[in-house]
Amino acid sequence: MTTSADGRVPVTVLTGFLGSGKTTLLNRILTEQHGLRIAVIENEFGEVGIDDALVLDAEEEIFEMNNGCICCTVRGDLIRILGALMRRRDKFDHILIETTGLADPAPVAQTFFMDDEIAAQLRLDAIVTLVDAAHVLRHLDEAKPEGVENEAVEQIAFADRVVLNKTDLAGQDTIDEVISRIRAINAPVEVIPARHAEVDLARIMDVGAFDLDRVLRDDPAFLTDTEHQHDATVTSVGIELPGELDEERLNRWLGELLRTKGADIFRSKGILAIADEPRRYVFQGVHMLLDGEFGRPWQEGEARRNRLVFIGRDLDRDALERAFAGCLVTAGAAV
Amino acid sequence: MSVTAIPEALAWESGVDDAPVALSVRRDLVAVAGAEGTVWVLDVATGAGAKVLDLPGGSLDVALAPDARHLAAAGPLGHALWARDGGRASVFETGAWSSKAAWANKERVAIASGRRALVLDTEGRELWAPEPTASTVTDVAWMRAGRRLAVAAYGAVSCHERHTPVPVATYRYVGSHLALAIPATGRWICSGNQDASIHIWRSRDGSELTMSGYPEKVSRLAFDDTGTWLAADGAPEVTVWDFSGKGPAGTAPRSLTCHETITALAWRPGSDGHLASGGDDGTIALWRATSGRPEARLRPARTLDGGAAVAALAWAAPDVLIAAYRDGRVLAHRVSGL
Repeated sequence: MTTSADGRVPVTVLTGFLGSGKTTLLNRILTEQHGLRIAVIENEFGEVGIDDALVLDAEEEIFEMNNGCICCTVRGDLIRILGALMRRRDKFDHILIETTGLADPAPVAQTFFMDDEIAAQLRLDAIVTLVDAAHVLRHLDEAKPEGVENEAVEQIAFADRVVLNKTDLAGQDTIDEVISRIRAINAPVEVIPARHAEVDLARIMDVGAFDLDRVLRDDPAFLTDTEHQHDATVTSVGIELPGELDEERLNRWLGELLRTKGADIFRSKGILAIADEPRRYVFQGVHMLLDGEFGRPWQEGEARRNRLVFIGRDLDRDALERAFAGCLVTAGAAV
Repeated sequence: MSVTAIPEALAWESGVDDAPVALSVRRDLVAVAGAEGTVWVLDVATGAGAKVLDLPGGSLDVALAPDARHLAAAGPLGHALWARDGGRASVFETGAWSSKAAWANKERVAIASGRRALVLDTEGRELWAPEPTASTVTDVAWMRAGRRLAVAAYGAVSCHERHTPVPVATYRYVGSHLALAIPATGRWICSGNQDASIHIWRSRDGSELTMSGYPEKVSRLAFDDTGTWLAADGAPEVTVWDFSGKGPAGTAPRSLTCHETITALAWRPGSDGHLASGGDDGTIALWRATSGRPEARLRPARTLDGGAAVAALAWAAPDVLIAAYRDGRVLAHRVSGL
């Protein structure tokens, strides 16, 4: 494992339902001989008992931000605990935040965008969701009252990595069905099958899922087949378009989209070709918060193309495709 | 060769074996709290001293009683009290997040403890406690010469009279209030917010004012002795608001430009409007913070280079500024004039 290039301490968010194997995985991470100093912030106290690691208890406190962004919430408890951790003399190589199966991942992720003190010293590395292969379908199918989130769906939608645990306890048909359901919700996510939470840690730690440079490296999985016929409300929409985009129109569309639909768009990622710009524009977002920059230059002979993916609730693929196509320079006055 | 030249401007140099997070100075004592939980007490004239207690889980704040006979410390897993006579420390591992300790007088101290503020005697016995707040208490401050307690948590600042759990006044604002500042006059209640604003209530009628537009959260706020000037972080510049007359509504603050990131603010005792600020670059800036016109951009009257990030500042006297640095050094700077 390598440490972050920018010197900030990577933070992994570990989420999943009770019984999915979070504690087993945590203990595995803490006992593995990787030589890293790890601090753990856990929501379910007393589960992890490792002498070497600093284990802190957190009780979820969700705070709204008065910034005109309706879905913008942060975790006050994490801000406090991480703030105190950073004032200590002993430095940690990695921080793990374990959330309960009922916790909303959005405020956790947004905390790393919204708090400058934290953003300056820590970087969100990845959201890792543990799934119990044998029982997750039941959770995914659970009918919720109007307006209440299905937490299992939400945690898969937010994930950068899904550890499909307990594959030894589920039949192949079930496993295939679970993978297909996971893909229907979150097409680009990397699914890692595991037994007894045995996972190659390099696949879940220091993976840089929120690192714009590395959004590109996930290329092959970026736009996997999303044509599953599930009538799920939380889905992925991946769009690929050749050509160049008009920056002004793109900004207007993306700004409007996130302002009006941001609450329903959990995650977004994109690699775009902007007209008259020699570099590729890379962005990723959580709800209404967007982080973007120009990355490496387009290479000679490389076809200019645009790829983006939205993961969210009630996404209208046709409307998104049409609006995105309308941002192409060649769309001209058609918009 | 090891020669430690003490510059003329330095009264003494001391050190603790931890990263300091808070300082408190009363009478002849300086208390220093370390991030990992140890609290030291030093002699204000010489810097000599010793460790007085260990708070398991770390410390976040320390406060000496006005008569310097007792000390209260607060941290992520509990709080502690120390008595100078006999040197006995009582540690209370409550498991509750305690970010602040504030003495009402030499006999009573308020401690933030999870969702409650506790009012304790010098032995740590609970005298009374306001009802729990909606979330973890972030700050506590005394008003009316120690007769009224203001408690900040998410969504509101509530005020309590002695032995009344139910608030006598609640000042609501949906936001995460990180720090409280209340002038000695009690006219204003100000909170620094996670949403990068300062929220202000006039305590008499609860009328509100929000100073927004800060680039970052406002976590440090301080009134000067006269209660006229409020200094705040939330930006690379220290902003200084004028609370004279009808208050700061419709006015612009003075901006004090020196640091990249502000880590400490301390008004010099008295009414001269002199302020000390510390930055994570190791600089302490001394300001004639109220000079010039509103909206003025001020430069420091003087700077002191500490060589490591400033962790906390406190004035021991109008001419002695105590500074704790992240590397564990504690320095007493002599500051005459400005």
